[in-house]
Order: sequence, then C-alpha cells, then structure tokens
Amino acid sequence: MKPRCILLALSLGVPFVASAQDPMNGMHHMPGMKHDSAGMPIPMPQGMPMIPGLVGLVPSGGTFLPGAGIDPERLPPAKPSEVVRLRSGDTLDLTARLVRRTIKGHSFAMYGYNGEVPGPLIRVPQNATIVVRFHNDIDLPSAVHWHGVRLDNRSDGAPGVTQEPVQRGGTFVYTVHFPDAGLYWYHPHVREDVQQSMGLFGNMIVDSPIADYYAPANSEHVMMLDDLLINGDTLVPFGGEGPDFALMGRVGNVLLVNGEPSYAVRVKKGEVARFYLTNTASSRTYNLSFSGAPIKVVASDQSRFEREVLVPSVVLAPAERYVIDVRFAQPGRYAIVNAVQAINHYKGEFEPQLDTLGFVTVDATPATADYAHAFAILRANHAVTSEIDRYRQYFDRAPDKRLTLTLQTTGLPLATVQFMTIDTAYYAPVEWIDGMPDMNWLSTSKQVRWIFRDNATGKENMDIDWHVARGSVVKLRLFNDPKSFHPMQHPIHLHGQRMLVIARDGIRTRNLVWKDTALIPVGSTVDLLIDASNPGDWMLHCHIAEHLGAGMMALIHVDP
Amino acid sequence: MRVRHTLGAFAVPLLLAAGPYDIPLFATPKAPMVTGAARLVFAESPFGIAVTAEGHAQYDVKVTAANLPAPSALGAYKAYVAWAATPDLQHWDRLGTIRNGTSTVGHVNLDKFLLVITAESDSAPKTHVGPTVLHGTSPSGWLQSFLNHPMFRGITG
Repeated sequence: MKPRCILLALSLGVPFVASAQDPMNGMHHMPGMKHDSAGMPIPMPQGMPMIPGLVGLVPSGGTFLPGAGIDPERLPPAKPSEVVRLRSGDTLDLTARLVRRTIKGHSFAMYGYNGEVPGPLIRVPQNATIVVRFHNDIDLPSAVHWHGVRLDNRSDGAPGVTQEPVQRGGTFVYTVHFPDAGLYWYHPHVREDVQQSMGLFGNMIVDSPIADYYAPANSEHVMMLDDLLINGDTLVPFGGEGPDFALMGRVGNVLLVNGEPSYAVRVKKGEVARFYLTNTASSRTYNLSFSGAPIKVVASDQSRFEREVLVPSVVLAPAERYVIDVRFAQPGRYAIVNAVQAINHYKGEFEPQLDTLGFVTVDATPATADYAHAFAILRANHAVTSEIDRYRQYFDRAPDKRLTLTLQTTGLPLATVQFMTIDTAYYAPVEWIDGMPDMNWLSTSKQVRWIFRDNATGKENMDIDWHVARGSVVKLRLFNDPKSFHPMQHPIHLHGQRMLVIARDGIRTRNLVWKDTALIPVGSTVDLLIDASNPGDWMLHCHIAEHLGAGMMALIHVDP
Repeated sequence: MRVRHTLGAFAVPLLLAAGPYDIPLFATPKAPMVTGAARLVFAESPFGIAVTAEGHAQYDVKVTAANLPAPSALGAYKAYVAWAATPDLQHWDRLGTIRNGTSTVGHVNLDKFLLVITAESDSAPKTHVGPTVLHGTSPSGWLQSFLNHPMFRGITG
C-alpha cells in the first residue's frame, strides 16, 4: 500500500492492522460499556433524554479502547510531565506506552509518552536541532507530529505523506529543528481521536536568545487543556474502524488540565504569572478566564503579536496556543473557568455553561520582584511588525486558492437526518459544547465526509494537489459554508509553514501574529497568507480529530 | 419580487446569503420607503472570534440603510440611532448613530436581540423615545424550540 493510501485507509475507516485486540465486537452492543443510571449508552446533557428515534442504536464499526483485556491496576501509574532541557545535538528517547490514569476515582488504561501525561516538556533554545527516537509500544500504529515546527519534511510525522505509520514495537527517528521561538506541541498523527484523547501529547517551549523577548514575569506555568468523555465509571469507547462523533467531534464531559481534573497553582500577591496555553482537545473550543484577573495576550502559535493586548478571556480552538501574562494583584483564590453560552437545541435557547478547571491561590506575601509597571505596558513588538512588513505587499492580491469547507453524509439514522434538516434556521459561529451528543455519537467517518472543496477545480480533499514554489507567498481563502448539512467551525492547521490571518470577512486583521492553526467560524471567509518557505509535502487539515478522520485534509506541495 | 419591492434591490442579496451574521431589516409605516440590512462582525480581538468572559458573542453591527429621510421630516428629531434590545424588550443597548449608506456601530453583547433603528432628538439618548423606522432580528433569533415537535414527543427538556 502506498503511503497516501495508508493515510486514507487509516483516516477513512480501514480496520487497524496492528491492533492487539479485536475491536470488531459486533454492531448491536457496546462491549465493556456500562450504562449510567439513566440507562444511556453515552452521557446526555442534564435532563435531556435521547431522541426517541435514536434509542437502541449504536455506531456501526465496533468499538475500541486502549489496553482491552488488561487490568488497569497492573499498569504503571501515569506520571506528571517533567521538563527536559535539551541543547542542539541532544537525543531524546520518547516511548508511547500504556499507563494507568485515575480520574475522579476511576482507573483507566490510557496512553502516555515516557509514562508521563502530558509527555515530557521539551525546552530548547531557538535554532536548536535535536534527535528524537520514537518507540511505539501502544496497541495502535502511531507517529509523532511536531505541531507548528518548521522542520525538515521527512520528520513531520504525517503517516501516508512523510513516513509509514510506526507499528507496535517499531521505532522512527526524527530530527527536529526549531527555527522559531514560541510554544509548540507534539502529538500522534494516526487516529488522533483515540491517541491524543488518551494522553499522547506534550509541549515544546522554544526560548529566544533575546533576553527580553517577553516582558518579565515572576513565574511560568504550562496548561495543556483537554477533555475526556466518561459515562459513569467507564470511558466511552472509540469507533473501531474509524472515528465516531464524526459530525462535531468528541466533546468530553470531564475537563482536564495537564491530564488532571483539578489544576492548582500558588503565586504571591502582585505576581505576574505567565501561562503557556495549549488546547489539545479533539473538538472543544475554550473561553478561559481567571476570575477577573487582568490577562495580557503576548504571543500565539509561532511568534509574538505585533502588539500586546489586554483581554477579558482567551479563546483557544483545538491545537491553538497562546502565551498570556496574568497579574494577581490581591491575595485570594482565583478560579480558572471556561465560560461559554451553549445552545440548547431542544429549547432553542442559549444557556450559560461554566466549568472550573482549577484555582490560582494568591498568598498575602508580596512577590519578590514587582513587575506591575512592566505588566501595565502593552508592548509593541517592532521586530514582528518589521518582519511582517515584507509581506504586506501581498495582502491585497487575489487569492491563489479558494477552498470551501463543507460536508457530505450518507446512511445517518433517519431521526438524525430529520432533526438536522429542520434545525437549519440558525447555526452558531462556534459550537462550544455538544448539545446533541446522541446524534453526534451515532455518526461515523463512514457516514460523514468533511470536505475541502477547491472552488476552481471542484477537487476535494487529497485530490487537491496544490503545488507552490519554495519561497513564494500565497494567499488561501477559506469559506466555511453555512448552508451545509451540519456547518461547524474548523480549526485549520497547516504543517511545516507559517501563515498570517490577514482578514476575516473582508476586515483586515490589525494585530498580526504568525500562526499554524486558525479558527474558521461558520459562515466566515478567512484569508490566510502563507509563507511557503519550507520545501516538501505538507498537510492542511481540520484539527478537530474526528473531522480529520472523516477526510478533511489536503496536501500543499512546496516545490524546491 | 415583493421582497425586492419592500426592501430595495441591495437587500435581496443579503437575504439570499443569510448566514449566522446577516440581519434583514424591515421598514415600518412611519417611513415605509426606508430599506436596510445589517451584518454582524466580530469585534476586534486577537482571537478568531470575540466573546466576553462569560462567553457572549461580541459583535459590531454594520448597518446599511437607504432612503432615510432627514430625521426632522418625521418630527422633532435630529438623528437615527441603532439599538440592540433583548427579545422581551426589557433591556436596550444604544449602539450608535446611523445614516444612509453603511454605518458601523457596536458592540452588541447579546446572544439574541432585536436590532431597532429609531429617530431621536439626540444622537446619544439614554432611552429610545422616537419612532422606529427599521427593525430586524439577530440570526440567533431563528433558533427554534423542538420540544413540541412530533419527533420529540415525550421529551421534557
């Protein structure tokens, strides 16, 4: 099988070839799955039963959970992430393996890198080159993608494009070069809906040699945001032959920070705390705040912003990263919350939903160094602006490529089709929660096909072979069609390059930052300016894991 | 064609393209010749969208209007003012003044709202007292309750 075929097979539903257990346990029951007290095969929003026409149905294609048949108590407990400081030329051994995680009193067989969740925090100086020997010891094929890093194409970790999947017991050696300071993360690129959700992710912080690259802060904290779907005392199994929850992705009901359901950090009065935020969730977009403590947005995926800005909260789509400074002026306990306005599709109403992810406890003892003055200054990063200035000549050019984001469905349950067909009067720009988990759960990647469609050629997804010359600057216009069967936001990720979101719905972005992942809300038209400087074959895809698994990916060839 | 006659030619494409951001505006008997439409635009934000800390979408509103007579033609009025009102009309936020052509006003922090243009004696009135000349409903106003639909009989929500 050619690499690209393997990729498609993995994504579109060919059974795993290296699964240690048989996930094909039939289509009429959910093995190993206990129903909650209400008898639901999946958790439903409070007070909301399943739609009558869906009761008794299960997704086609069987189920999968890590470590089937293994008593979780016999697995080593997951360890918290440790910082690994590496210099250019250093080598890191990174092994994906089964671990035991205990969440809300229940033990589950899940995954971790080097036994840690999140995986080791790799901290390197800018322009370092390291070697990572990846060993796969989990019950699925895997690979490691170095998200956002403009590295050599061979080490991008995209099975079917740059390498074969690493089978269980196999090894792949990556050479990872870090040309840009910033916050990055690594994760699998095979069945992300399973492997990422089960704990395979870790951060990389690339430090600039410039001493005041960021304003001074008293402390640094890493928050990798995730969610997990648990029903009673059981993980909700994953689709065996491909992702389930294909319509809007798997949205967990237990929110996690660094793999734990409760996050706690202690600081001193007046302290400026720097938080490195990464959204590793399959589908959830966060709206994070700190009980009114002032938040200064400093940087995003691959660079600092042109100008720092104060915000009431931080919106993170899947795979996005933000570096923020938060000042805690007064002692006390500050809740870190995710606050959204969810849509109750049955009532036709917005409803507030608030989840507390953890707390920052601020001691009465003043911080040793007082950075209040520096925090109050919103810095203009002239180096960022002057570098971007070289690209402004391309902002007003006609798009080089226009893609429409849409989907096709086939074989969905009749009740789902009926509901979705009549529930078309309004779609929110962003679906913050899964308001229809029963319908979502029953949709699989065999029934749902998420699509990039080339407006000029009509070609879709991997048939879009877009060739651009190395060193060129190209403009990509994405339109998220609100008239599709189920429009939804898409966090679009481009491998191996950097890009600017130069306009949204015709309005020029006034504070730019280099990005590798951009949120495309429903009904929006977003212009991306791509600095195509890194040769190779690079994936463009939706980072909602189930949308990727349901086909929403294309290739951009940057020809040498 | 009745739509075209009522709203004016420029409003028709907006209606046809109605997505989560487009608001057709409707005239009132007070000024039946007025036409208009509005588009919601996320307020400036370093993120892909703008929301408040509570998660309410935060929009600016681009109002495009035509055939607005001079406010004084309707009475002792000096300006046209855009308001965002909650569906129960209990809470009104003044967004700003509009003129013929396109005016951007904002922000709106309401999830569902009515967009109302009134003639006022002041460009920054504290409350709306003048006659309404245009009105519309935010796209989210189209959210439906399915509780009474036959499909969902038995669901108590």
